[in-house]
Amino acid sequence: MDNINVLIIEDTAAESDALVKVLTENNYTIVGIATNYNEALKLFYNNVIDIVVIDVFLDGKPDGITFAETITIVPNGLKPFVFLTSSKDRQIFERAKLTKPFSFLLKPFNELEILYALEMAVEKFYGQTNVFHSEDQNAVISNDSLFIKKNKALKKVRIEDIVYIEVEDRYCNIITDVEKFVILISLTKIIQLLDSNKFFQTHRNYIVNATKIEEIIVNDNLVILKGNHKVTLSDKYKDFVKNFRILR
Amino acid sequence: MIKIKLYIVSVLFLNSFFLFAQDRLHNDKLFAVEIKATAAKFKEERNFNKAQKFFREKNWDSTLVYSMKQLSLNRNEELKNFCYYFRGTSFKEKKLFKEAKKEFNQVSANFRYAYKVKINLGEIALEQSDFKKALQYFQEIEKLPVSTSYNIYRSNILHNIGLCYLHLEKFDKSEEYLFKGATLQEKEKDTLMLISSYMDIANLYYTQYKDSQAIPYFEKAYHLSKKTNSFNLKKTAALNMAVVEENRKNFPLALMYRKELETWKDSLNDQNKVWAIADLEKKFAVKQKQKEVDVLAAENKVKKAERNGFLISSVLLLILFGTGVYFYRQKIKNNKIILAQKNELDELNATKDKLFSIVSHDLRSSVNALKVSNGKLIENLENKNFAELDVLLHNNSTIANGAYNLLDNLLNWALLQTQQAYFYQESLHLATIVQHVEYNYKPLMLNKNIDFKNEVTGSDYVFADLDSLKIIIRNFLDNAIKFSNENGSILIYSRPASEDFCYLVIEDTGLGMSKATREELLKETILLSKKKNDEIIGTGLGMQLCKSMIHKNGGKLDIESEENSGTKIIIALQKFKNHG
Repeated sequence: MDNINVLIIEDTAAESDALVKVLTENNYTIVGIATNYNEALKLFYNNVIDIVVIDVFLDGKPDGITFAETITIVPNGLKPFVFLTSSKDRQIFERAKLTKPFSFLLKPFNELEILYALEMAVEKFYGQTNVFHSEDQNAVISNDSLFIKKNKALKKVRIEDIVYIEVEDRYCNIITDVEKFVILISLTKIIQLLDSNKFFQTHRNYIVNATKIEEIIVNDNLVILKGNHKVTLSDKYKDFVKNFRILR
Repeated sequence: MIKIKLYIVSVLFLNSFFLFAQDRLHNDKLFAVEIKATAAKFKEERNFNKAQKFFREKNWDSTLVYSMKQLSLNRNEELKNFCYYFRGTSFKEKKLFKEAKKEFNQVSANFRYAYKVKINLGEIALEQSDFKKALQYFQEIEKLPVSTSYNIYRSNILHNIGLCYLHLEKFDKSEEYLFKGATLQEKEKDTLMLISSYMDIANLYYTQYKDSQAIPYFEKAYHLSKKTNSFNLKKTAALNMAVVEENRKNFPLALMYRKELETWKDSLNDQNKVWAIADLEKKFAVKQKQKEVDVLAAENKVKKAERNGFLISSVLLLILFGTGVYFYRQKIKNNKIILAQKNELDELNATKDKLFSIVSHDLRSSVNALKVSNGKLIENLENKNFAELDVLLHNNSTIANGAYNLLDNLLNWALLQTQQAYFYQESLHLATIVQHVEYNYKPLMLNKNIDFKNEVTGSDYVFADLDSLKIIIRNFLDNAIKFSNENGSILIYSRPASEDFCYLVIEDTGLGMSKATREELLKETILLSKKKNDEIIGTGLGMQLCKSMIHKNGGKLDIESEENSGTKIIIALQKFKNHG
């Protein structure tokens, strides 16, 4: 489970310091702090970034919006971002709103608010709203990562690291190469959101990552995964074996 | 003798003239009835009605005018015939025989009164001394059956035929017809005609030098003429007697007749004069009448023009008055609107002034307190009295917080009033938002030792603008803390939601408020009110701001409160339909 990488674009040192302090305290990793447009672009494209926090006004100019507009043009590289602003000026907002998905945070803000804003940005960006505050889900699933709310902050798990998922009631045990943890999400939802070419259900309670399969012992109804994890294969789901070339 | 003869001939002319006159009298009575009947049949033909009326009244000129009008308009055969007949008769009466003949000739042969036309044509021929033609006409009529209505004129026609023969010097036939006529007239006891007949018979004999036969008839005529009133007949009879006596060389008697003749002539002349004068008078009277009519017409015209003028001017005046009234009313209306707007603006301006003064007063006292506190801080720092520093710093922080909140509200108020703020309603997780707001007040509540609980249901999502919702909750929470005593408690929870609304309740155990205050707060006014408790209660700006923002978010505000036991602020917010 990794920390979330945050890029901060903010020209006022005092404010970026406060931000860094709050985010580090909540186990976010600050990749860098850009104070102008060019620096921001450089940092954005040279690092692995999960969320960008953008101050609308950089040196008195709405360069924050310009930055958002620039990264929006290339959809593949786009990441969730949050605008920080101290004015609710409608004109600025009308412009900022065009960079969808749009979320913002009004200054001054407290710890809860900035964390909330980051969560919202992730939710909106991946089109899975009202997740982190609902009572039956605490994870957003993107193409390559699982964003999980742990305590007050978000955590990230690379999907390719997942070995298998064990469903237990409303919870899912995620077993990766190195760790094991529980998230709150329903089975139907997680199957919907995961890539169906990589993840297969082998049992009503198990979903496995196909790339982690070591051995399938059909007679014993057993799937052996990397790290010697054993998962049951039920008759109902045996069909998934057809997806593999069988050596005879 | 030749001279005498000529004279007699002239007498004959006179006679025949009288005959026509007599004929006309008879003729009219019956004929008028027929014409009236015809007129009644053609009521709608106004010109014909007028023509026939004038015809019956013997107003020949008018008859000519209206019959001409009728002819120019009308296609009816019968009416045409009548008109031609009227015109012929009129021309004949005016002695315009040529025209008369023309008109009569246009009457078609199948006209009911064709025989009358023929009689008239015969008479005209007679007048024009075309005896042969006259004879022809009369004979044609004589041949008609005795039964037809022309019968009443039979004696006249017979007489006229006689006259024609007389002039053509066919004395035998003349005698026969004259006697036939005379016998008929004797039967009819038509004295006037009889006199003429006798005289004509006498003349017949006289021209044939049968004096012995002629003289008795002359005498008969003379004696009869004495009984009549016709001066013309009397005159002629006397003249005939005078000529006869002169021829008999009985001059004394002739002289007597001559004298008698003179008297009749005079009376005739007198009568003529009287008629002439009467005619003149009539003409004069007519002229006078015409003048009067002209004057009246002119007066009428003037009156009409006056009336029209009056009408037009009154209409114009009315329109003018109407427009005047309209514009006046419009002006009054406008004035009223302007006055109302002015009052409203005045009120708003007063509010603004008041707000301005209150806010500046509050800020001034805050900053002043900060200044005083800072002075103390410096003093304590110099004296190294560190124990006091902590208290003073906390104090400073509280003051700055209060001032900041005030300024924040002021800014939001300004943005709201000028509609400059970005406003976007979305689905919001109510519990989290409350948490966010509460987070800032935690130290304050801890300070006052207030027991705070956020029991908003986790499944409540509302449809609202994030910042305005925060401002609303922040203000109410701020108030709740402000009005709470130490060790009090504040509870935020959501009431069971209805279909459309989510109810957020902020309950405190503080001062509470009176019913009057509560109602005052809930009033839909934009007026700010400074309340009694200067120490605790601020501008009322926050309350106003909250009300406006709740309204803008489509929500409602309600307050439940009891003095000295606490207040419940109930905010109804629109539910987000897809969730909760």
